[in-house]
Amino acid sequence: MSEINLNNYKKIHETWDEMYVSDKKLRNQYQNILKYLKNESANDLNKKEELAKRLFMSQGITFTVYDSGEGIEKIFPFDIIPRIITASEWDFIEKGIRQRLKALNLFLKDVYTNQFILKDKVIPAQLVYSCPHFLREMHHLQVPHDIYTHIAGIDLIRDYDGTFYVLEDNLRTPSGVSYMLENREITKRLFPDLIPQCKVRSVTEYPAILYRNLLALSPRAVANPTIVLLSPGMYNSAYYEHTTLARLMGVELVEGRDLVIDEQKVFMKTTTGLQQVDVIYRRVDDDYIDPLVFNPGSVLGVAGLMSAYRKGNVAIVNAVGNGVADDKAIYGYVPEMIRYYLNEEPLLKNVPTYSMGNRDEREYVFGNIQKMVIKKTNGSGGYGMLMGHAAGQEEIEAYKREVMKDPRNFIAQPTISLSSAPCYIDGMLQPRRVDLRPFALYGPDGISIVPGGLTRVALKAGSLVVNSSQGGGSKDTWVLSNDTN
Amino acid sequence: MLSRVASSLYWMSRYVERSDGILRMLKINYASAQDTIHEFTWDPVIRISSGGNEQEIRLMKNDSRKVVEYLLFNRNNPNSIINIITLARENARSVQEHIAKDLWQCLNEYYHTVKDPKLLGYVQKDDPMTALDILIRQVMLYYGTADSTMERGEIRSFMSIGKYLERSIQSIDILDIKFISINNNPDLLTDTSYWKHLLLSLGGYELYLKSYREGFSDENVLELVMLNSDFPRSARYSVNNIQRYFQRLKSEKNIDHYNGLSFNIGKLNSNITYSSVHTIKQEGLHNYLVNIRSSLYGIGNLLNEYYFANL
Repeated sequence: MSEINLNNYKKIHETWDEMYVSDKKLRNQYQNILKYLKNESANDLNKKEELAKRLFMSQGITFTVYDSGEGIEKIFPFDIIPRIITASEWDFIEKGIRQRLKALNLFLKDVYTNQFILKDKVIPAQLVYSCPHFLREMHHLQVPHDIYTHIAGIDLIRDYDGTFYVLEDNLRTPSGVSYMLENREITKRLFPDLIPQCKVRSVTEYPAILYRNLLALSPRAVANPTIVLLSPGMYNSAYYEHTTLARLMGVELVEGRDLVIDEQKVFMKTTTGLQQVDVIYRRVDDDYIDPLVFNPGSVLGVAGLMSAYRKGNVAIVNAVGNGVADDKAIYGYVPEMIRYYLNEEPLLKNVPTYSMGNRDEREYVFGNIQKMVIKKTNGSGGYGMLMGHAAGQEEIEAYKREVMKDPRNFIAQPTISLSSAPCYIDGMLQPRRVDLRPFALYGPDGISIVPGGLTRVALKAGSLVVNSSQGGGSKDTWVLSNDTN
Repeated sequence: MLSRVASSLYWMSRYVERSDGILRMLKINYASAQDTIHEFTWDPVIRISSGGNEQEIRLMKNDSRKVVEYLLFNRNNPNSIINIITLARENARSVQEHIAKDLWQCLNEYYHTVKDPKLLGYVQKDDPMTALDILIRQVMLYYGTADSTMERGEIRSFMSIGKYLERSIQSIDILDIKFISINNNPDLLTDTSYWKHLLLSLGGYELYLKSYREGFSDENVLELVMLNSDFPRSARYSVNNIQRYFQRLKSEKNIDHYNGLSFNIGKLNSNITYSSVHTIKQEGLHNYLVNIRSSLYGIGNLLNEYYFANL
């Protein structure tokens, strides 16, 4: 029985480590779990890792990769060591997200109605109008309670000094919340009694809060409004999440072909005839939601849905057209939005962002390309980025040519190192880069943020990319209820 | 319940039942092919249980291993076990939140069993019967799990209607093809093994022996397969069950549709209940079976239109 060696943990140079202050000195919040780990052998931990894999597989917590017509089910890699956030850190994050989300929601309301922020020249009108996700169809469309951003997954990272930065505001159809819930369920099995001992706050409220918010949006004043979750169907990689949320909230999971529009009302086809639908939590992108208005080739949406939405006969969650607020070029202006709408100083920092559409900024970026990450404004999943420090000369030149074709579509940010957290890899604890996606729910009663979130991990040594499509995994995320223990 | 969900449950169930019928028939016919001095012909089996094209069937030249392989694993045969179980599983996958987790896992395992290369090995080199037994066991597991885990409600009603509709169509098809062969070759009328295999492939051999002491006769076989209300694969038993589960779907919301379909099912049920071997023979067996089959298809079409919203 070899005990696992906890003393050979090598912090990554110039990086904030979530567990260690220095190579020897432990942060307070990790005391309990480390004490627990000291009594475990490598064998025990391997067994836990096996158990985790088995639980994921047998419960079908998988995403499907379609290859030559046959679906292959894969599990999203999971690291057994939880990532721990202190009560005071969480307090700050929560306040910061609340403030940011409030401003972003006001921005959407403004930009689709009076456009004061453009008239006051706080944000260049040209930037908004050139955004492909800015939808004219949303102009003066009255959304219930003026809420656009019902569900937000705001990605946070930490620089070398531990400062939190917002990397992205995901305001369209953020995913990953089922992993936040499942990771916790699995950790309960892996480390019995440890969660109550450490006074970790619960995340199980999420589906109940979401359901309550959805219920409150119903345009019809009926006792039991019909709420549905609109999924693109079982070939979608996030299908597992859709079924999980539908099951946990007790709402019907529908596909576009289950719905029809009649006299600008939405109905679902049931075995006992048509049943009116009041609230749609959709996991289908704007582009595909209504073939009459957007992509005409889409079979995932419902023809006529936008007319029912405009008429106020159905609530859609999240609102259509949110992409203009989480566009990467608009992102740079979020601190300005907070000052403009709330008259407050932003709590959470933005990563400095250079818009490549601006000539001066572009030249500065090209001059310092080794320190920069260049991204497409509408890209996601970690694709189509240039990591300046890791790219070769040819790659850089090719990318520059790509940028020059349409500079508006690119932004650049200085490389942020991302904090590291201990992971159990190859029989020992090793530091790997992590980010954090807490999920915020905006309802008529205000903003609720379940204490926790999805911590994504770049499992490859040295990697800074946490996306699951690029070899990323996830961890359970613990928020402690107080910092005194 | 969503129409799409009802439709998926119904088809999931039909496909599993179809696989059951095909597997049992294959097993008995394979055994029969190993035990005959005449030239054994796979022709009727292939005609009942595949939609394959003539050329592929000729190429197999009545080679038992090849036929079994074709009916189990050939992707071009729309009714091969691998194809129908893939479809059953896809249907189940899309309604996962409506069926018991155990049932989903069971079907998932059935699918992975069919895909296991070991199974192909049994068919090509070792004993094909082993492969058939393994698969039949999977179907039995499915039925046991469905029975002990599924809630008694709308979901189960649609599953049961699918199952019994498929089963009655299969029994009628088998009967029809076997009796057509007799018309072409009257010697078979007195061939005990011919009847024995027909009954075995429907699982009714033992019941036949218990019910009729005077040996094999075409009239008794007909009576058992069509009219016996206690034989789980008889047309009468299956149609009875279609009616029984359909009645549970009664709802004031779609009473017109309910009444329309209920009329059709009731009419079919009466037609079978109030037939006797004598009246069937008067009408002509083939005609009688063709009528019943088209009533069954009609019920399937109305379900599609009234309940699954596929117009």
